[in-house]
Amino acid sequence: MTVSAREEGAVRKKNPMVGTLLSVWLTAWTAWLPAVHAADAEEVEILFVGDQGRSAWEGASQGLIEANMQGKFLGRTFKLTQLPGAGEILKESNPAAVVVAGDAATLRQVAEALPGVPVFNVSLDDDEIRQQCGGSVLHVLPSQAMKRDALSQWKTKNPESDARALAWHSSAKKYSGAQLNDRFTQSFGKPMDDEAWAGWAAVKMLSDTVVRAQSGDPARLLDFLRNDLQFDGQKGADMSYRKNGQLRQPILIVEGEKLVGEAPVVGVAQSIEDLDSLGNVECH
Amino acid sequence: MKRLTLAVLMLAALSACSEKKQPETAVTEPAETQQAAPAATEAPASAAEAASPAAPESAAAAEAPAAETQQAAPAAAGGPTGRVFVTNERGNSVSVIDPANNTVIATIDVGAQPRGIGKSPDGSEIYVALGEEGKIAVVDPKEMKLVRKFDSGPDPEAFGVHPDGNIYISMEADAKAAVYNPKTGEQIALVDVGLEPEGVAVSPDGSKVIVTSESTNMLHVISVPDHQLVANILVGSRPRAATFSRDGKWAYASAEIGGEVKRVNMTTHEVDKVTSIGEDEAKPKDVLLSNDEKTLYVAGGRANKIFLFDAESMELRSSIPVGNRVWGLALSKDGSRLYTTDGGSDQVSVIDTAKNEVVATIAVGKAPWGVVVDD
Repeated sequence: MTVSAREEGAVRKKNPMVGTLLSVWLTAWTAWLPAVHAADAEEVEILFVGDQGRSAWEGASQGLIEANMQGKFLGRTFKLTQLPGAGEILKESNPAAVVVAGDAATLRQVAEALPGVPVFNVSLDDDEIRQQCGGSVLHVLPSQAMKRDALSQWKTKNPESDARALAWHSSAKKYSGAQLNDRFTQSFGKPMDDEAWAGWAAVKMLSDTVVRAQSGDPARLLDFLRNDLQFDGQKGADMSYRKNGQLRQPILIVEGEKLVGEAPVVGVAQSIEDLDSLGNVECH
Repeated sequence: MKRLTLAVLMLAALSACSEKKQPETAVTEPAETQQAAPAATEAPASAAEAASPAAPESAAAAEAPAAETQQAAPAAAGGPTGRVFVTNERGNSVSVIDPANNTVIATIDVGAQPRGIGKSPDGSEIYVALGEEGKIAVVDPKEMKLVRKFDSGPDPEAFGVHPDGNIYISMEADAKAAVYNPKTGEQIALVDVGLEPEGVAVSPDGSKVIVTSESTNMLHVISVPDHQLVANILVGSRPRAATFSRDGKWAYASAEIGGEVKRVNMTTHEVDKVTSIGEDEAKPKDVLLSNDEKTLYVAGGRANKIFLFDAESMELRSSIPVGNRVWGLALSKDGSRLYTTDGGSDQVSVIDTAKNEVVATIAVGKAPWGVVVDD
């Protein structure tokens, strides 16, 4: 796994905001990379399959910054390797996990190419792909069914509302949502959207799992993610995965550009903690 | 083969920058724990119960006459006032409670977003972290007046007061702990910690300071006076507050999202026992030991309860219902009264620790956050 000079160009070209902290950081890292590589046996690689133009990439990059902030206290480093498509995954590739921002076919190809490796879906909300029990694909974004249920709970109490259901919103403030929004905007000069949140969450939960499981082994990580995860996605809830690979999470209710509520909706669902009142919990 | 690799710089600097030798000072009191917290959570209060003119039984040294006003004669020079000071995060004020009759005797406008609160070792000053202003406000507890402010850098959240008088502040937006001399406003040191630093606890002998990082899930242990990171202890999700045992051998910490409380061996810096509260609603924040150190009080957040743990076995013993979104805790010096800030109810609850029941609720400002007793 080496990095050559021509890749540096790619880094610079895609710098989202020249002059930001991140770009300084990227440039610095490019120069330092070989040394870090050679020296550090504890480095954990996460693949990102998808276009760098997507906000999922920026979210994952933000997650990487934060993963390494934690890692520096524990002697771990994380890196993110971007590939445009599933076809570019090399035989000798041995990532700890893969973040996929693409279509359903890409998601399937990645899971097939890297069996047993955790694969985070950060771009698709289709219900059809969230059926399988015990697979390696973990769906970070809420499903369509979850968002439907969130809206329906909301409208039970607010029948006139024309709200939308989202995974994230740039006006989220509670539960340190404001801090996450600030960090993302500082890095990329734009608001954090659903895909960006999902990309951030995928990398952050993977890195937190690596330090808790004290392992970079994909099978161990997948087991921990499926069974032991207590992830703080900065939405006030303890997030974990359902058997069908769907991340349990609160859904944000937004009218126009204003965050007006969250689901589960208290008084409709049993409580704000009743995350399984949203969407499908079954698998086959 | 287009491949973009992003990796990581291990910042060499795990520790502090500028240092100054601190004179060693004798321990005066058990560590104060101040905590931190992000912007106000739950919906604003439903029923803020009116202050019951409750039983004025407190054994505490409450000397303020009931009719005392803001002008209050600086009661007999020296000696603490016995008053309870409460920060109101969205009221931009500090409520002052006379514990003799559990009424608010003054409301001091201190500035934007007051959260962490603590008193100087000699009791002559109360400090208040103003998140939105990036300042620390200094209040005279006798006069009940704002006397000055000094810059702390952006978004100070909570702090602990060291026996030598310096304050250790969690700088939420900067992922740093800042050390200030509040007498001069001078910054003594800046220490890199994890993301969203929050709770701060100072060991009673002043040799260690714990800062929790909410989004890096760690307790960072800083040595004093050299301000080096001596341990980074991975704990449950969103650690918010910590406190030391009087002998400094143990620390207790809460994890809000993890819904758990743990005891940490401060000699080995390893987690000794962890207990999950087991109620989904429980989002623990402040932790505080009873005077006999047998009971650990835990503010249960939106569980709207105080949880009582056996401080040795870490078993959950019982709970006491209080108002909504309870975060802050403080004990009277004699340990007979526990004050809780019920942020979602805009009230303070007063618990009789012998009976473990609420004996009074006191309406204060909007979204009360932190509390300290000047006794």
